[in-house]
Amino acid sequence: MGLPLFDAQSDPGPSFVRFAEMAGLTLPPATSNLSAHATTVVAVRFADGVVMVADRQATSYYVANRDVRKIEAADRYTALAVSGSAARGLEFIRLAQLSFEHYEKMSDSALSLEGKANYLSPLIQRNNLTSTLVVLPLLAGWDLAHQRGRIFEYDGAGGCYERQDFSVIGSGSPFADSTLRLGFKPDLSREDALALAALAIYEAADNDPSTGGPDFVRNIFPMMVTLTSEGFRELDQDITASTFRSINDRRAESGGVAGGTLR
Amino acid sequence: MSNYFYVAPEQLIKDRAEFAQKGIARGRSIVAAIYDVGVVLVAENPSASLYKISEIYDRIAFAGVGKYNEFDRLREAGIRWADGTGYTYSREDVDARALANYYAQHLGDMFTEGQKPLEVEILVAQLGNKFRPTKLYRIAYEGTISDEADFAVLGGDAETIMGRFADLEVGHLTLAQTLQNAVSALAGPERELPVGDLEVGVLEDRGDRRTFARLEDEQIARLLT
Repeated sequence: MGLPLFDAQSDPGPSFVRFAEMAGLTLPPATSNLSAHATTVVAVRFADGVVMVADRQATSYYVANRDVRKIEAADRYTALAVSGSAARGLEFIRLAQLSFEHYEKMSDSALSLEGKANYLSPLIQRNNLTSTLVVLPLLAGWDLAHQRGRIFEYDGAGGCYERQDFSVIGSGSPFADSTLRLGFKPDLSREDALALAALAIYEAADNDPSTGGPDFVRNIFPMMVTLTSEGFRELDQDITASTFRSINDRRAESGGVAGGTLR
Repeated sequence: MSNYFYVAPEQLIKDRAEFAQKGIARGRSIVAAIYDVGVVLVAENPSASLYKISEIYDRIAFAGVGKYNEFDRLREAGIRWADGTGYTYSREDVDARALANYYAQHLGDMFTEGQKPLEVEILVAQLGNKFRPTKLYRIAYEGTISDEADFAVLGGDAETIMGRFADLEVGHLTLAQTLQNAVSALAGPERELPVGDLEVGVLEDRGDRRTFARLEDEQIARLLT
């Protein structure tokens, strides 16, 4: 690639996607049904920010991958999770990460959280309305300007909606959503929010064959992330392991019965 | 009917060089130097928002003197080139030398073929790692590229400032020492530069992927005392 210089009329500005299209770096979407997908990711707002938990399994007709990272830091204060086509989803994360950084370097100021959320809308719209490889992301982050955690979810056509409580994406959504709906309270503590989000993923994995639960054989556990004024933090594996082990132990004790309580 | 006058190529080059030099000499200078664990870029810049120093990529920084709109367009092209290359291949494949060569080609083309030569002088700095060396590439208005071993000075008064800085900077010192030397070289014996007129950027490993940081006024003041 040569030095990408533009005159003032054709300059793509600080948008990496517009630049990539003009420079021919992105390919037009193609159509195929072959893809690994299915997922459950939850995001829950709590007093000091947002927690996110995601399963690790990529599924097609068989288990394609057991340790996929479905949540990534889009930048220091923002997390992006994806459900749907794995190939498109991971590419989507890469493009979003790069776009936010590109904007920051080009204009010497970071995009606002809402700006990031809106930037993704046309990308989702274009992908999902031109291809069967559907991607649905979930954006959560700490809003530096407004000093609070915020969650943005999307519909298949790219519509962007802010959620005040929690959001769920992926094939295990109905089960995770029910769990969150019963357990959610405004201003949860960090520990309670993490426990509730982990339980939601456990329920989803228990009921949805395409969502991976805790894997005690291979020591692979769902990813747990917090977004607070300290930024994006991924919890260490010993913490995710003990969280899911304790849910599993309680469930084993009751013979697999949730028992009508959130435990 | 228009008339064409013959101009000897020597004369043409000389006129163009003088034109570019005059434009560059109007602006203030920049010192870039390698210190013990990084690279520091110091500019005399009274503006707090129109930057001369900026981040290009994880380990690459850019500095420009001369006409702001001209070097800012080069800065933007550099960021696009780096992000585009890293997106197409891998972040590891983004190399300052390749970028410096593209800049040199473009400046050379503009010098000989453009309506007017670009009135800029730029610097591409790279912080080394296991795979690449720490480098300072200086690119002049006519496309001459030079690989500076320890430090580089850009701008109209480069020779004098370079002499002053070379006397002070012996080997690779700490950030504070190098910054102090750069500031006194930029100021000269008769002047004192206020912190508010300094723009400082560093490339240094802090455990993050991105190594560029802009120093705030308080940080600069602390390092200068």
